[in-house]
Amino acid sequence: MKIERNVLITVVAVAALLGAVLRDQYVLHIAIMVLFYAVLATSLNLLVGYVGEFSLGHTAFLGMGAYTAALCSTHLGWPMWITLPAGGIVAGITGLVVGAITLRLQGPYFVIVTLAFAEVLRLAAGNWIAVTNGPMGLAGIAQPAWLAGRDIIEAKVFYYYVALVLLAVAVYLSYRLVYSNAGRAAVAVRENRYVAQSVGIRPLTYALTALGLGAFLTGMAGGFYAHYISFVGPEVFAFPFMVSMIIMVLVGGKGTLLGPLLGALLVTFLEEYLREAKELRLSIFGLAVMAVVLFMPRGLMGFLLRRREQRAEAVVPVTRPESAA
Amino acid sequence: MTASFLQVRGMSKSFGGNQAVRDISFDVHDGEIVGLIGPNGAGKTTCFNLITGFYSPDAGRVHFRDEDVTGLRPYQMARKGIVRSFQKTNILKGLTVFENVLTGQYLAAKQPLWRTFFPGRAVARAEAAARERAAEIVRTMGLSARMNAPASLLACGELRLLEVALALAARPAVLMLDEPAAGLNSHEAQRFGEVLRTLPGNAVKSVLIVEHNMGLVMAVCDRVVVMNFGQKLAEGAPAQVQADPLVIEAYLGGAAARPA
Repeated sequence: MKIERNVLITVVAVAALLGAVLRDQYVLHIAIMVLFYAVLATSLNLLVGYVGEFSLGHTAFLGMGAYTAALCSTHLGWPMWITLPAGGIVAGITGLVVGAITLRLQGPYFVIVTLAFAEVLRLAAGNWIAVTNGPMGLAGIAQPAWLAGRDIIEAKVFYYYVALVLLAVAVYLSYRLVYSNAGRAAVAVRENRYVAQSVGIRPLTYALTALGLGAFLTGMAGGFYAHYISFVGPEVFAFPFMVSMIIMVLVGGKGTLLGPLLGALLVTFLEEYLREAKELRLSIFGLAVMAVVLFMPRGLMGFLLRRREQRAEAVVPVTRPESAA
Repeated sequence: MTASFLQVRGMSKSFGGNQAVRDISFDVHDGEIVGLIGPNGAGKTTCFNLITGFYSPDAGRVHFRDEDVTGLRPYQMARKGIVRSFQKTNILKGLTVFENVLTGQYLAAKQPLWRTFFPGRAVARAEAAARERAAEIVRTMGLSARMNAPASLLACGELRLLEVALALAARPAVLMLDEPAAGLNSHEAQRFGEVLRTLPGNAVKSVLIVEHNMGLVMAVCDRVVVMNFGQKLAEGAPAQVQADPLVIEAYLGGAAARPA
């Protein structure tokens, strides 16, 4: 708990310093995407890693946030520091409504319903031309006034820090949730629904809390994406974002706070490096995920934690029954 | 005689054509340990599931502290103060012994949602109290040496103790244990019985226990309810039940009527 907190603070601090040093446009873009994906992976991990329900519909919240921010910005002229939370709140409410209906289902049923939900929203975004401008998307989303007259590097640095603040918020809220009575309740639901209920935990409450918070954070990230790219189209609801999030959470290690950050860093870089491989890229990712699930079911963080535990055991021999098969 | 605490009246449940529990009535009074015994398939665990809301009864009512609690959901029953353990060991496998018991204190450590994100001193105090109490429960159950061991590495006997510890952590008024001594050796079972004996009036008000270990049942129970084929066969003090010819025939099987 303490260690994880200190490492998280260090990660955010190092990221803050990096922002002051990086001056290359391309590198800054990659760094911004790492932070953006880290927020997404962190929020997905709340549900997947702590409550134990697998959502394939997290892009629904990303899209809701992105469209909300884009619409508020273009039609109402709201500044970015309002549109981002607005995107988060709309996505969060969507999450609570969807969750209240779908979280009564478990396992594969929940997975399928969430996937369908994101898909319905994608079709709506592509066809409801009056509001979303259909497949053409919403272009020319306003940039913050502060950026007027500044060069592109300064703009990138600005967005880098906005993303970092988002990530810090996401990590802080997740940390508080995970290391609280509510977080323990969520883990109890993941580990054993019956035991959870028998000590007074209502599973739906904590599944909803995690989904609502995750949707809120994802929505904010969506709003950020809308402003940063200054364009939103129906593809924010599409499956590729979901694939990236899943890979990050699984590779990094679900059920740990550091895992998704590590996953976001690794996968974003890999995606850039594998750009040359084009179509093969997704196949390589598929194989990588299968390998991780087979050989490191708790992801890289789980692997590292095990190594540490084993080393600790080697130093301080503990009497332990031999039946640990 | 103390006032009735938990009352079960005319409870029935069938699965398909199989009448698992038929018109069962019994009481658990404040401060006593009641044993629910009977041969395999007699409907004891079904009774547990009916009382704690994991199944809903076809007929019959459950009253607790003069309140009709029939048909409440399991988590609601726990909030009323009725907490159970499971026959097939059910614990939080991925967590340590300490974390299991800490999680069990969910109700006592509950906070408003906003407090989760912006905890103050009060939350810190509640957390510290929960941790302290968790350690104390682990000690009471004799698991101190395994405090930080992952639950998945515990031996069978230790698992049963952890299960009871987890149920105790929820601060029940009525603790319902489903075969807590299964897999314990005779020494462990005896020690377990001693711990159990200290509970009523302290950690809990009453205990309702399903158990096959007759030595343990006879040693700890104030009263015993005997079930067979879903029906109540007999009820009374352990010695009285042991002497009942009906019980001897149905449950102990004639010649084997020699309690340990």
